[in-house]
Amino acid sequence: MFSKLALNNVKRSFKNYSIYFLTLTLAICVFYSFNSLEDQNVMLGMNQNEDFILNMSYFTIGMSIFVSFVLGWLIIYANNFLIKKRKKELGIYISLGMSKGKISRILILETLVIGFLSLVAGILLGIIVSQGMAVVTANILSAELQDFKFVVSMGAIGKTAVYFGIIYALVMLFNQVTISKYKLIDLLNAAKKNEEVKVKNPFVSVLLFLVAVTLLMISYSIFLTHGLAADRVQLSVVALFGGLGTLLYFFSLSNFFIQILQKNKRFYLKDINLFVLRQINNKVNTNFLSMAVISLLLFLTVTFLFIAFNVKGIIDQNAEERSSFDVSGYIYADGDIASPEMANIAGYLEAIDFEFDESERYAFYSEYKLDASPEELFTGYLSEEEKMDLEEGFMFNSIVKLSDYNSIRELAGQKPIDLREDELFIISDSGHVEGALAEYHQGEEPFILNGVAYSIQNRSPVKENIAIPRTGDFLYFVVPDHAVENMQLESTGFNVIYDEADPEESEEKFSALFVDFEEEKYSDFLPLSVSGQTWKQHLDRKNAPAAIAVFLGLFLGLIFIITSAAVLALQQLSDASDSLERYKSLKKIGVTEKLINSAIWKQTFIYFLLPLSLAVIHTAVGIYAIRELLNINFQTILTGTLLVAVIYGGYFYATYLGVKNIVRNSN
Amino acid sequence: MQNILTVDKIEKYYGNKGNVTKAIDNISFSVNKGEFLGIMGPSGSGKTTLLNCISTVDSITTGKITINEKDITKLKAKSLEKFRRDELGFIFQDFNLLDMLTAYENIALALTIQKRGAKEIDRLINEVAAKLGIEAILSQYPFQLSGGQKQRVACARAMVTEPSLILADEPTGALDSTSSRLLLDSFEKLNQEDQSTIIMVTHDSFTASYTNRILFIKDGRVFNELVRGNDTRKEFFNKIIEVVTLLGGDVSNVL
Ligand SMILES: Nc1ncnc2c1ncn2[C@@H]1O[C@H](COP(=O)(O)OP(=O)(O)OP(=O)(O)O)[C@@H](O)[C@H]1O
Ligand SMILES: [Mg+2]
Repeated sequence: MFSKLALNNVKRSFKNYSIYFLTLTLAICVFYSFNSLEDQNVMLGMNQNEDFILNMSYFTIGMSIFVSFVLGWLIIYANNFLIKKRKKELGIYISLGMSKGKISRILILETLVIGFLSLVAGILLGIIVSQGMAVVTANILSAELQDFKFVVSMGAIGKTAVYFGIIYALVMLFNQVTISKYKLIDLLNAAKKNEEVKVKNPFVSVLLFLVAVTLLMISYSIFLTHGLAADRVQLSVVALFGGLGTLLYFFSLSNFFIQILQKNKRFYLKDINLFVLRQINNKVNTNFLSMAVISLLLFLTVTFLFIAFNVKGIIDQNAEERSSFDVSGYIYADGDIASPEMANIAGYLEAIDFEFDESERYAFYSEYKLDASPEELFTGYLSEEEKMDLEEGFMFNSIVKLSDYNSIRELAGQKPIDLREDELFIISDSGHVEGALAEYHQGEEPFILNGVAYSIQNRSPVKENIAIPRTGDFLYFVVPDHAVENMQLESTGFNVIYDEADPEESEEKFSALFVDFEEEKYSDFLPLSVSGQTWKQHLDRKNAPAAIAVFLGLFLGLIFIITSAAVLALQQLSDASDSLERYKSLKKIGVTEKLINSAIWKQTFIYFLLPLSLAVIHTAVGIYAIRELLNINFQTILTGTLLVAVIYGGYFYATYLGVKNIVRNSN
Repeated sequence: MQNILTVDKIEKYYGNKGNVTKAIDNISFSVNKGEFLGIMGPSGSGKTTLLNCISTVDSITTGKITINEKDITKLKAKSLEKFRRDELGFIFQDFNLLDMLTAYENIALALTIQKRGAKEIDRLINEVAAKLGIEAILSQYPFQLSGGQKQRVACARAMVTEPSLILADEPTGALDSTSSRLLLDSFEKLNQEDQSTIIMVTHDSFTASYTNRILFIKDGRVFNELVRGNDTRKEFFNKIIEVVTLLGGDVSNVL
């Protein structure tokens, strides 16, 4: 009997429910897609190192908590909207003598029906959307999509069901409180009263608005002065003042402006401007909290999208980069070496039965230890500041003998170099080294390396690395062969170039070798730190953090913008049905259809614009403050802006059409 | 006398097949420019429906309504809007004030949509407010006003544009006798000095005695007609009472 009543209710108020249902489905779809990330094969293909997976899942957990809050808010909001519309219906049930217990059972049943349907629809939609996201991401990361599979993540389905189960339980609880708290008279009159018209003190509004602007200004100026160097206290102040300022801004904004615009009679008393302004004023006043939240979400959206596109630019740049070698491997000569011949990479490879194919060209080399740090070596040629800089940064450094270096050059297809007995040659990508070298050539002093005086042959350092780069800058000294005789060995290594005709097989072989090293497969056999990387692995590793940034940036950006635009649309549509009487009154006193439509347009436009405009200002300040971190280019700005404009603009226009239809169909 | 309104054999049905209410059942009459016409009748007799049809808020089922020689049943949407905006002032039984606008703004709206200048708007509102004694409440919102105050604001909104035809649905329904008199005096002034035509629905015989002529309606038909001619208001009032008593039955309950 009651289940029938509940079902009929859902059927009858289909229009209201359809908005609620769509919101739920959207939220579930987003939640599922987000949580299925880890199982997406694009990500699987990319994350071969453990750090990546670990970072990724920490980040996902953190972000999914945040996303949960955002979506929870969205659902409670939508439910609130639905209950508000039905207060009168509930009041009538009570006045007819139905017990509150029965009514709450009806509500619970309704929530269950809607909840179940939306869960199924949302997950199905999520499965489709997440495949789409995978394709888009793969595209963005320039990853190959050869092994694309249709992925259904059971883990994500489970998580989604549990999470939304909890949210629905909260919704039920919330609804129970609503029916038990409200008096019958309030329920019955709920429909009659639109939102309360609050009369606010004009002086207080102006004051609050000024306070809001001041808070924002303080927050901006702190961030602009300190930027990335801001410490934790400063950052908290920025966040606190920014958040509080945003809240107060929306709290006082419309009252402040209506005070000012009312003074301008010529504008205020034109067409139905006063109606439009009052409508907006009312809406913003009742919804200032969600406006502030939306504005902050949009701020995150724009920032995330912006950074994502920016980082994508960096990834693309990296992909352009070329290397002389396809593989570099090395073995460190520290520790207790039981058998010195195996501490050499050539001996080691032989010992584990690793062989080079005929198609693979290779060269072995040895590196020797410096007896001083780079800043000590160049001490006469560096300013204090530069020394400090070198001391703090990490610079990879060693000594290589001439014959090894020449064989590396030969492998890379370059001409060998010559050195006199007392000459050395410098290879480095460091700007400080370049400066110091120029300084050296100004004077007559010899250069002392491991206790021997040399003259440096090259006027500026060669910037090409002798292997696939490890982390940080590098500095190599090439010395005549006999000079290394008494030096301490640092490491031995090799470089490989594949046969161009068939690189895949070699790539597979070497990447497998290094994965074995990483997993310490041979460590029982010989406890030495062996490592290396193929060029492809190097690029993947270098791009991994960037890839996370791009993917999450895009994804979170999309979630936030969709959520906030959905809330704005909901508010506008619900407002349209609440304001139907007003529009009818307008029509009765002779306001033209055209004026009414333009009023709706203006209202919707301003309502969508308000949170976005503040968000854009926040973003502009934020991005400007950290501009050194980003290499901002025109295309980045354009792509990000375009994406936001299309999604947000689409929501705006759909809302406008929806409101217009509601008003037009009312008679 | 110039004819301003002709209502010709109009009918208005509500509902659909099987369940039809004949709210108006073949009513014809005409109104001359400068007339002050009253419409009386028991509750549910079709008075509001009649006014709504004349004011183009509602459409008629059959018949013809001509205002200023224009057949308003055939007017296009554009001209309808213009007609409502410029020629008509409507005082609704349920006021139709906008809840988020102050009294001042509610009245102003009728003028802003006519694209009047800001100064003129201010002047006109102050004038009409003085006439109806609502200067003190201009800055308040409808929810802060009593029923009678709301009614006077609604009247001010209808009168402020100085329309050629004012339609008033129970304008004194929520007023005490002093404010009723205030309002009716200003109607009378409007009618006599500005030659405005007024059609007013009322239950109250005293209010009705301010008019020149009264149509009595029952069950959607014209039941009787009373012309004031050269009677004083007192004499006219007595005649009205007679007809109302004559109508008897349910009417006396209402009055
Ligand atoms: N929208 C509607 N749908 C169906 N029937 C309606 C509608 N509006 C009015 N009616 C019916 O039409 C008849 C006339 O109604 P109307 O509102 O014109 O009466 P009235 O004379 O103004 O009464 P009152 O003095 O109480 O205001 C009534 O029987 C009413 O039930
Ligand atoms: Mg009526």
